[in-house]
Amino acid sequence: MNLSLHPLILLLIFPGGLFLMNIGLLYEWADRKLVARFQSRVGPRWFQPFADTIKLLAKEEIIPNGVHKIMFLALPIIALTGALTAAQYIPMFGFEASFSFEGDLIVVLYMLSMMTLSIGLAGANTLSRFTIIGATRALTQMFSYEAPFLLALLSPAIAAGTWNIGKINTFTGENIWLILAQPIGFIVAVVGLMGKLELPPFDAPEAETEIVAGALTEYSGRGLALFHIGKNVELVIGLTLVVIFYLGGIANPIEFILKSAGLFLVVTALQSMFARLRIDQTVGLWWRLGALMGLLQLLAIIFGRYLGEILR
Amino acid sequence: MAIGVLFGDLVKALFTKPATQNYPFTKTIAPERLRGKLVYDPEKCVGCMLCMKDCPSNAIELLTVDKINKKFVMRYHPDRCVFCAQCVQLCRFNCLNMSNSLWEMASTTKEAFEVYYGREEDIAFLLERAAQPGINEPPCE
Amino acid sequence: MTEAKKEKFIVPIGPQHPALKEPGNFEFTVDGEIVTDAAVRLGFVHRGIEKACENRNYTQDLYLLERVCGICSHVHATAFVLGVEKLAGVQAPPRAEAIRVLAAELERIHSHLLWFGVAAHEAGFDTLFMYTWRDREVVMDILETLSGSRVHYSVNILGGVKIDVDQKLSDLIKKDMDFLEERTEYYMKVVTTDDTFLGRTRGIGTLSKDRAKLLGAVGPTARASGVKRDIRVNAPYSGYKEFPVKMVIDQTGDLEARFVVRLKELYESYRLIREILEKIQPGEITTRIKRKIPEGEVISRVEAPRGELFYYIKSNGTEMPDRVKVRTPSLCNWGTITDVAVGHKLADMPMLLAGIDPCFSCNDRMVEIRSDSQPSQMMNWDGLRKYGIEYYR
Repeated sequence: MNLSLHPLILLLIFPGGLFLMNIGLLYEWADRKLVARFQSRVGPRWFQPFADTIKLLAKEEIIPNGVHKIMFLALPIIALTGALTAAQYIPMFGFEASFSFEGDLIVVLYMLSMMTLSIGLAGANTLSRFTIIGATRALTQMFSYEAPFLLALLSPAIAAGTWNIGKINTFTGENIWLILAQPIGFIVAVVGLMGKLELPPFDAPEAETEIVAGALTEYSGRGLALFHIGKNVELVIGLTLVVIFYLGGIANPIEFILKSAGLFLVVTALQSMFARLRIDQTVGLWWRLGALMGLLQLLAIIFGRYLGEILR
Repeated sequence: MAIGVLFGDLVKALFTKPATQNYPFTKTIAPERLRGKLVYDPEKCVGCMLCMKDCPSNAIELLTVDKINKKFVMRYHPDRCVFCAQCVQLCRFNCLNMSNSLWEMASTTKEAFEVYYGREEDIAFLLERAAQPGINEPPCE
Repeated sequence: MTEAKKEKFIVPIGPQHPALKEPGNFEFTVDGEIVTDAAVRLGFVHRGIEKACENRNYTQDLYLLERVCGICSHVHATAFVLGVEKLAGVQAPPRAEAIRVLAAELERIHSHLLWFGVAAHEAGFDTLFMYTWRDREVVMDILETLSGSRVHYSVNILGGVKIDVDQKLSDLIKKDMDFLEERTEYYMKVVTTDDTFLGRTRGIGTLSKDRAKLLGAVGPTARASGVKRDIRVNAPYSGYKEFPVKMVIDQTGDLEARFVVRLKELYESYRLIREILEKIQPGEITTRIKRKIPEGEVISRVEAPRGELFYYIKSNGTEMPDRVKVRTPSLCNWGTITDVAVGHKLADMPMLLAGIDPCFSCNDRMVEIRSDSQPSQMMNWDGLRKYGIEYYR
C-alpha cells in the first residue's frame, strides 16, 4: 500500500511523530502486561504508560549540579529524534516507507544506535556513580551486540540482493519466510534486539538492584519521559525490522499486527525466562556465540548465492 | 545444564488466572482465628484490670464508673493495639474477644481510633463528666 | 594520571537503594567492575528495644521482642520464653513444646521462601521471585489460620502456647505441605540446572570452611560451607528433643550451595511438620507461671531461620527483667561479606548481600570495635545520658 500524504504530515503525525509515539506507549503496555501475565500477575491497565508519560512530561525537570546543561537537555531529544527518523525509512504498519533510497538499512541501524550513544553520554555527563557505571555498561553492551545484530540483518539483505528495506520487504513477502531458511539469523536478530533495547536478561546497564536506574538515574521529568518514548519507539522499529526480515514481510496493517504480536509474545517470554546476565557474561555471549553464529549465517548465504550464480 | 527451565510454568501462568487478589472488590473470608479488633462485653467484666496491666502497647484503658455494681467502661485504642491477644488470654471471664470480621480499620480521622465499650448510660455519664470544665475523668485504678 | 589513580571510586549501596529494602550502608570500592574493598556500616534501625525491655514486665517484653524482626518473629519470642521459663523453673507441657516447633518450622518455610524470592530478584530473575512469593502465600495462609496473624503470630505465652491444632487444621496443613514440597522440588530443579541462574551463583562468593569458622558464620551460611552449626541438632531445645531434625550440609560454600542448603532445609521442615502432626500427644497447652521471676541469669539459644539466635536474660526478682541482651544471626554473618566481596564483580554484590539472608532490623545494637590505637570507653547510664544531651545541644 502506498500513502500519498504531505511530507510534513508523514513526518509529524502519521506514520512518524505523534502516531509512532502513541504506538510505542501501547507497545510498552503490551510488554508490561504480557510479562505480568507470564509472572502470574495482573499487570497494568492499557492507559498506564500514557498516564506515566503525561505525568513525567508535566513534572519539573531537575538539572543536577556539575553537568553540561545543554547536553543534559539535548540528549533526550537527540535520542528520540534518532528513533523517529529511523522510522521514516521503514515500511511501518504495512504502508510503504515515507522515504527510501538504496542503502537505507545502514542509515536505520545507525539511527537506532543513537539512542544507546545518547544514553551513554547522558550517563557520563552526570556526576553520580551509578550513572557512570550505567553508561560504561551501556556502551560496553552496545559494542557487543551491534556486530552480531548487524550481521543478522545483513544476511537477508544479501539474500535479497538489495540494501533497501522496502525492496527487502517485497522480496521476503514473495519468497519463503526467512525464519525457515535462516533460523540462526533469526535467533541472533531477536536476541540482539533484546540486547539493543536493554530488556531482561540483558538489562545489566540499568540493573536496578545494582546501579539503581543506570545511566538515567539523574534524569527526571521531561528528559526521562523523552528517553522512555524513544525507547518505546525503538521497540516498535526493532520488532518491525525483524518481522520484515524474517517473518515474511508486511504487506498490510493486519499482517503487521498479527506478525508483530506473535514476535512480541516470543520476546516477552524470553524476557521472563532468564536471570540477568552480568555485563561480562553478555559480552562473552555475544562475541563468542552471537558474532560467530551471525558470521556463519552470512557466509552460508554468500556461498549459496555464489553457488546459485554458478548453476545458472 | 539447561536453558529456560521455567518455560513450562510460564505457559501455565499465561493461561491461568493471575494470583493477584483484586482486594477491595473481592474479599477473601478471614480465618476463624484471625485477631482483629478487640470486642468487650461489659456484662461479664469484674474489673480485675489484668488486661490493662499486661497490655504491651497500652491500648486498653478500663475506666471505673462504679466499682461495687461492677460498672466499667473500656476505652480501646485500635491504633495502638498490636493485636497480640494477650488480654483475651488473660481474661478469665471471657468478656474480651478478638473479632475476625472487624479488621479493616483505615480511617481519615483520629476519632475512629478511640472506641468506648460499655453500657450506654455509663459511657454517656463518663463523657458528660469529661466535658464538664474543671473536672477530670475518673482516674484509672 | 597518578593523581586520578589514587582517587578511589566508591559505589555506595544503601541506606536507600533498590537492592536492599531495609537500611544498611555498604561501600564498595571498585576498579572498573571489580570490587577491591568493601565496608559495612550498620545501626540505621536502632530502636532501643533492649533498653525498653527493662521498663516492661515479662509478658509485655514477649510481644516487644517478637517485633525485633518481622520475618522470624516467633523464634525471638521462643528464645525469650524458653529463657524465662528456665529462670522460673517451669517446664511447658509437651504439647505446647510441639506446637512451638510446629510454628517455628512453618516460619522457617516462610522465611526461606521469602529469601529465595528476594535472592532471585537480586539476580534479576523476577519471574522466579514472583512465583516463589505466590507460593509463599500458601504458608502465610496456614500461619494465619493457625495463629490468627500473618506476621506476628504471638503463639507463645509464658508457660505454654496460645493456640491448639485440631484434626481439621492438621489435614489442611498436610495438604498444603504436599503442594509446597512439589513446588520446592521444581525450584530445586531451576536453581541447580538453569544455566543463566547458575552463571550468577556457581563459584560466586565461595566461603571456605576455615574462613567461615574464623569469621563466626552461623546458620545456612555456615552450613553451606560445611561447618556443622545448627542449634536444633547441637543443643536441642523445646520440642526438638522429641522431634529431632537432620542437619543439612554442603561443602562448596558458594552461593549455589547456600541456595541448595536452604531448599533442602525446606524438605526437612516439611517432613518435621508432618511428623509433628502425626505424633502430637493430646494434653494441656499451658502451665501457670508466677508474675515475679526469681533472681538469676540465663542464656537461651535457638536456631532462627538465619542461624543461631542468642538471648541473655537477667532477672532481679521483680516483674521486670534487669537486662535482656539479644544477639541476632545476621550480625554474625556480616563479616563474611566484607571478606568474600573482594575480587568479585560489582554485579555480584547484591547477590552476595542477599546470600547471607540479611535482616537489617536485627542489627539494632551497638557494636564495639576493639582497636589497639583507641582504648575502649566504658560509660554508665547517667554518663551516657549526659553525653547524649551535650552531643545534641
